[in-house]
Amino acid sequence: MGIKRLKMPEYSFGDKVKWHAAAVGTAFKEAFFPHTVTVHYPKERRKFPDNFRGYILFDIEKCINCWQCAFVCPANAIRMKEAPNKKYYPTIDYAKCIFCHFCVDSCVGGALRTTKIHDVAYADVNEMLAETEQLMEPPEIVREDRRYVEYVIEEDDVRLRRVKGQDYLLVEPPPRKEYSMVCVCDDPESCTGCGTCADVCEHYAISISIEGEYKVIRIDTARCTGCGLCVKECPLRVLRLVRREGEQ
Amino acid sequence: MKMLGQILELASSNRVEIPLIEPLLGMLPPPLSELAALPLWKPLFAALVVPGFATLGLLLLLLPWIERKLCARIQWRVGPKEIVSWLGGIIQLLADSLRFLFQEVIVSRDSHRPYFTQFVLLSFIPALLPMLFVAAGTIIAIRTEYSVQIMLALVCLFPVFILGMGWSSGNRFAFVGTVREAFMYFAYEVPLILSVIAMLLVFGTGDPVAIGESGRLGIVLNPLAALVFFIATAMGTSRLPFEIPEADQELAFGPFIEYSGITFGLAYVLAYEKLYVLSALFTTLFLGGGSGPMIAPLGELSGALWFVLKVIVVMVVFAALRAIYPRFRLDQALKAGWSSILAISLLAIIISSVEVVMWA
Ligand code: SF4
Ligand code: SF4
Repeated sequence: MGIKRLKMPEYSFGDKVKWHAAAVGTAFKEAFFPHTVTVHYPKERRKFPDNFRGYILFDIEKCINCWQCAFVCPANAIRMKEAPNKKYYPTIDYAKCIFCHFCVDSCVGGALRTTKIHDVAYADVNEMLAETEQLMEPPEIVREDRRYVEYVIEEDDVRLRRVKGQDYLLVEPPPRKEYSMVCVCDDPESCTGCGTCADVCEHYAISISIEGEYKVIRIDTARCTGCGLCVKECPLRVLRLVRREGEQ
Repeated sequence: MKMLGQILELASSNRVEIPLIEPLLGMLPPPLSELAALPLWKPLFAALVVPGFATLGLLLLLLPWIERKLCARIQWRVGPKEIVSWLGGIIQLLADSLRFLFQEVIVSRDSHRPYFTQFVLLSFIPALLPMLFVAAGTIIAIRTEYSVQIMLALVCLFPVFILGMGWSSGNRFAFVGTVREAFMYFAYEVPLILSVIAMLLVFGTGDPVAIGESGRLGIVLNPLAALVFFIATAMGTSRLPFEIPEADQELAFGPFIEYSGITFGLAYVLAYEKLYVLSALFTTLFLGGGSGPMIAPLGELSGALWFVLKVIVVMVVFAALRAIYPRFRLDQALKAGWSSILAISLLAIIISSVEVVMWA
C-alpha cells in the first residue's frame, strides 16, 4: 500500500528557454496573422449543418396522432392539444424545450422536422408556448446577415471561410426509408405464457399453445404488422421488433 | 507687470526648441509671442505635455485598448469592436470612463469611509509625482542628479496606497488581495532596487538626461539587470504571470473590489500609471532614453518622440504578457523572487562592478 506520488517532469534549462521562446513566438505570429474564430453573429451567420437541432416545424398532414413525441420528450415540453377534428396534435413549450430533438427522431409519421433557426425572441414566457398552428409556419426572424461563415479544416486546424450571401434556414428532411418490422420472442424460456400479447394483438398474430407441460408462444409472422403493441405490453420484456428478413 | 515680464523672460530663457513652430511664434508681435511661448517653458512643457499629463492621458486611453485588442488577437478573439467599429473600437476606454463617471459610487457599510474614499485619490501622488523626474529626451521638469532614485522611491510607495485601499475596503476578497499584494511587494522590491543600483553603478549618475546623452544602451551593458527589472516590473504592476493580488478569477480585482463608478475607474488606471512610470524608467535605464535618429524640424521634440515610442513598445510587450502566460501561485512567485531573481540581480551588480572597474 502507500500513496503513489506523481513526479513533476524534469525540465532542463535549455528546454525552458526553448518553450518560452516558442510561446512568445506563437503570440507574435498570432498578433500579426491571427486565426480569429469569432463569428460576428447578427452581421454574419454560421453555416450550420442540415441536421442542426433548431426550431421545430410541424406538418399536420403527416401526423398520425400517435403521441410518441409527447411520451418521449424528456423536458415535458410537448403537450397534445385537441383540434376541432377531435384529433390531438402537439404543441411545444419553448420555455421548457432543451432542443434534444428526441421528438423529431421518434416521430413516426415524419411530421416534425428541424430547421436551422436558433434566434427566435419572445416578449415573455407565456409567448414561448408554440401552438400547433404556430408550429406549422416558420417563425418570423429579423435577418441582418450579409455573409455566412463556414468552418473548414485546413492544415489540420479549423479555419473560417466567409461566403457572401445568406444561408438557407429551412431544410427539407431527408427522404424517409420505411422498414416493415416483425415481432420476435427473444427468450422463450422466460415466457410464462400469460397471454397478454395474444390478447392485445389486433391481427391475431400471436397464439399461446400448450406443449407438454409448458405454454408456448407462437408468432404468425405473416399476420404481424409490426405495430409493436405486444412489445409494449409484455410484462417480461422478452418480445422485440426486428426488421423483416430480406430487407436491408 | 514687471513680475510678468520677469516670468516671461525666465520662461523664454529655458524653452523647448522646436524649429517647426519657431516661425509661427515669430509672426506674432513681441508680448504676444512670448505669452504664446509660455507653455514651451521646459518644466511646464515637461509636466503638461511630454512626458507629463497629455502623454500619460493619451497612453491611459490607448493602452487598455491596445492590450485588449492585442490579447484578443493572440487568443483568436476580436476584442473591443462596436464603438467606432471602423477604427476597431479605439475609443472604448473613453466610453468606459464616461460610464464610470455617471455611475453611482457606492461606499460599502463595512468600509472605513474616510480612508476608503481618500486612498484612491491619494495614490495618485506616487503615480503623478514621478512624471516630474522623467526625461523625454532632454525635456525634463526637474533635473537633478537623483532623478532615477527619486522615481524609484516614489514607485516603491505604491504598494502602501494599495494596501491602504484594500484594508479600508472591509471586504474579505480585498483583504486576501491586500495580503497577496504585500507578499508580492516583498518578492519584487529588493531585486528591483538592486537592478536599478546596478545600472546607476554603470552610468555613475541618476540624471536621466545624462544617461540618455551618454549614448550607451543599458540593455547591452547589463542584460541581467534588464531581465530582473523587466520581471520585477511585471510583478509590481500585477501583469499576468504575476497577477496574483488582483486575480480576476478568484478575487475579482482583489484590493479594488469594493470600488465602483469613477473611483473604480481611478483604481483601474492606477496599475497602468505605475506601468507607465516603470516603463519610462526601463526606457531611461536600458533603452537609451530619448536617443534615436534626430528629426531636425522637431528639435527637442524628436528625442521626446523616440522616448514615447520606446515607452509604448515596452508597455505593449508587458500587455502581451497577459495573453502568453498563465498565473503563478503566490508561493511560486515568492520563491522565484527570493531565489533566482534575487540571485540574478546580485549577479547584475557584480557585472556592473566589473565593468566599472575595467573602464576606470
Ligand atoms: S426537442 Fe426534446 S425537449 Fe424539445 S420538444 Fe422535442 S423532445 Fe421535447
Ligand atoms: S410523434 Fe409525430 S406523428 Fe406522432 S403525434 Fe407526435 S407529431 Fe404526430
